[in-house]
Amino acid sequence: MSFLSAEFGIFLALGLVAFYLSPSHWRPSVLLGMSYAFYSSWSLPGTVLLLSVTTGVYLAARWIEGRSAEHSKFALATIAVAGLLLVLFVFKFGVSLAGIFSARPEGIAPGILLIAPLGLSYYLFKAIGYLLDVYWETMPAQRSFVSLALYLSFFPQIVSGPIQRAGDFFQQYRELDKPDSDEFIVGLRRILFGMFKKVVIADRLGLLVATTHSHPSGFSSLELLTGAYCYSLQLYADFSGITDIAIGLGLLFGIRGPENFDLPYFASNIQVFWRRWHMSLTSWLTDYLFLPLRMSLRGLGTVGLSLAIMINMLAIGLWHGPKWTYAAFGAINGVFMIVSALTLKARNKFFQDHAPLAHIRTWAGPLLTFHLMVFTHIFFSADSLRLALTYVVSILPAIRRTGIPAWRLNWPLMGISVQTFLALCAGLAAMEAIHWGAKQTYWRGRFISAPRLLRWGLYYASILILVLSIKTTMTFIYAQF
Amino acid sequence: MTKTDIQRQLTTVFRDVFDDPRLELNDSTTAQDVENWDSITHVDLIGAVEKSFGIRFTVKDIRGLTNVGDFIRLIASLVK
Repeated sequence: MSFLSAEFGIFLALGLVAFYLSPSHWRPSVLLGMSYAFYSSWSLPGTVLLLSVTTGVYLAARWIEGRSAEHSKFALATIAVAGLLLVLFVFKFGVSLAGIFSARPEGIAPGILLIAPLGLSYYLFKAIGYLLDVYWETMPAQRSFVSLALYLSFFPQIVSGPIQRAGDFFQQYRELDKPDSDEFIVGLRRILFGMFKKVVIADRLGLLVATTHSHPSGFSSLELLTGAYCYSLQLYADFSGITDIAIGLGLLFGIRGPENFDLPYFASNIQVFWRRWHMSLTSWLTDYLFLPLRMSLRGLGTVGLSLAIMINMLAIGLWHGPKWTYAAFGAINGVFMIVSALTLKARNKFFQDHAPLAHIRTWAGPLLTFHLMVFTHIFFSADSLRLALTYVVSILPAIRRTGIPAWRLNWPLMGISVQTFLALCAGLAAMEAIHWGAKQTYWRGRFISAPRLLRWGLYYASILILVLSIKTTMTFIYAQF
Repeated sequence: MTKTDIQRQLTTVFRDVFDDPRLELNDSTTAQDVENWDSITHVDLIGAVEKSFGIRFTVKDIRGLTNVGDFIRLIASLVK
């Protein structure tokens, strides 16, 4: 049951009625029932795994909290986290590793073990974070099984995140009996905005991307460059679209999930980019992997820092799945991050000493960072390392070996018309203007106080464009992770 | 060491790590208030504080820190 299906619309409507008609003390159970019903529509065996993990995590947290000796707490926490990592490894990495980072080994039929259950990485990361928080005594173990089960299975977040922290969720969970009608409206608006980004912008860009990425050798340098830009923009519109839908759905039930994006393509350098892109995953990895690792390696100075950054970035890459392209994506970003971190002080000093050049830095920094990310996304999007390298080589006019003129720009061949492309550029500019405006108190206030006719006209226009753009099958890029 | 002594010495460490001789700290100062205080410089800061005060932090120690006030209390509990 996809978020964009008619079945989900009916499920949501029935769920909202049940939730708001229930006595307040039943609401968590209603929401838990909805979450399990939603999850079991994808896979029943997967639901059994989710319930088993939840039970194990519930008991482990209680045991960790109940021990007084530090070594005993540490041993229990280590066993529990290792167990969860093992589940992740077996279901997501096990079979692919048997084929050495390739597709399913020949002769093995598709089966339950070959398909990672939906949302596995998301709910296991939530579970690991919760256990470590209990071990580090930054939050108590949950007494209520329902609260923990709802945290791990919460249906708006289980498909593609965001990865909400346990403390933040449980604080809001305690106030489920006091729904906020304003937040409900904000939620509906977020869902509409997310669907617009996905259906109107991301899927249209996807038409061009699917064409250029399927056989790079058949396109000119300029066409491939356009395809590479469009993939980065598609990924952003798609992933931030599903995040908006997830946050909006959560708000309908009184739970505000964490933000995942903060104008990432305007980041001044690669370090800032990774603080603004998939923020719930990167901040999770910072707290539970990078900082402990960096603390353990701090005696090694620069080597320790570089090692911690590289391991962290490889983890970000391989979190998406066991493919060499994801490993390359992580490793290249790791190199960029290390160079950036080691030279940041010197760069700051240089621009302090050369004040007139600082103006150039304000626009050249984001431009360079965007292009570095477009480059790494070529690896992220490719089916194989070979295809990624072919794509990179085919972009470079000096070394490409085809008879196609390097600067040709044939729109019909790329799958969309120039008018559609220009409309998409306008749509992307509007999307970023809305992202920027939503952060400004002034513009937020101006929008809310605008005449009702204008606001509702905008909503209906968006819905109309959405309906006209909708296709029969739509999947989100990040739903596969 | 008194709280004032710790805060004074800590301010010197912060100014050195963040390369800002005018940096001022108070109990409610957080990473949001100090330019370039991110996850990478955070451990540089931890290392510099350890060296300056002759103490050693664990991951568990630094997990609970939310502001400079917490940091000062943690240092006070570790210095002899």
